[in-house]
Amino acid sequence: MSDTEHQEDGHGSLVINNKKLLMWLFLGSDCMFFGTLISTHLIYRKLYPESYDPLLVFDLELTSGSTFILLMSSVLMALAVSAMHKGELKSFRLTTIGVIFCGLIFLACQVYEFAHFTNEGLTLSTNTFGSTFYMMTGTHGVHVAIGVFWLICLYFYSYTGKMDAHESAVDVEVAGLYWHFVDIVWIIIFTAVYLIEYIPGLR
Amino acid sequence: MTDTDYTPIPVAQDSHKDTETKRYHTFVNLALALAAITGIELVLVYMPFHPIFIFSTLLALSLFKFVAVVAWFMHLIYDKLILTLAFGTGMVIATGTFVALGFLLSRNWVDVDAITQF
Repeated sequence: MSDTEHQEDGHGSLVINNKKLLMWLFLGSDCMFFGTLISTHLIYRKLYPESYDPLLVFDLELTSGSTFILLMSSVLMALAVSAMHKGELKSFRLTTIGVIFCGLIFLACQVYEFAHFTNEGLTLSTNTFGSTFYMMTGTHGVHVAIGVFWLICLYFYSYTGKMDAHESAVDVEVAGLYWHFVDIVWIIIFTAVYLIEYIPGLR
Repeated sequence: MTDTDYTPIPVAQDSHKDTETKRYHTFVNLALALAAITGIELVLVYMPFHPIFIFSTLLALSLFKFVAVVAWFMHLIYDKLILTLAFGTGMVIATGTFVALGFLLSRNWVDVDAITQF
């Protein structure tokens, strides 16, 4: 097995693929970015609990639905990476389309939610809750949109005939890492921002 | 382009496929567990339990989901330790920032209104 092949499988090899390492480093830095956004929201929420009652606008069923969709997109992404490693291009395309579809549904839910909140009078400049909420969830939404665009590019690239088995498997894996990261950030936001508001004693 | 235009992975094809097939089952099982946990979280907030219990359970469940996705879906348990360290460093700094800000901006410690007025 050559060094390049060792790089691809990642099991028991001495070489770490540069793309994967860079993506993990980026995700580590993105953790800090989202960490500050979520921290800011929670701290302002604690400092000024009276500034706004989010239960006036929150729709937990909608948010739970979009959370479920994002979780399922993560599964499909994992299957797309697996298909690519097995060299099953047809399966890769099918699962990637599924991920793109789920991502678009999530984005549509977020646009609907933002429109609903704005109609209810909660804008970016209404109060500290609005500022931190829109900044945090908006930044996450932009990450999802970038992920969707990336996957669309990969999907169409698979039809060009330029896909190399080894290199493309790593490319798909790196895109998958990004997508899963977007998912785990939402797992935290869903609990820390939405669900906690529904606990009566903590409000 | 058809599927035949695609160059199959030539390395240890059978064992590699076996590994991926095992992972496929892991992914599907994990997906079911994640969906169930999200359902439990949703129901839990409406239950008449003590708020601290609900909060702690929600925290534990979301941490489990977080770790599960990172470990299995992101292949971190199958990959090199240095990748865990690269991601873990960011996580530790992010968590540290949250804890530090939480303490620093506590109303009892500093005059928050004075420093947040623009």
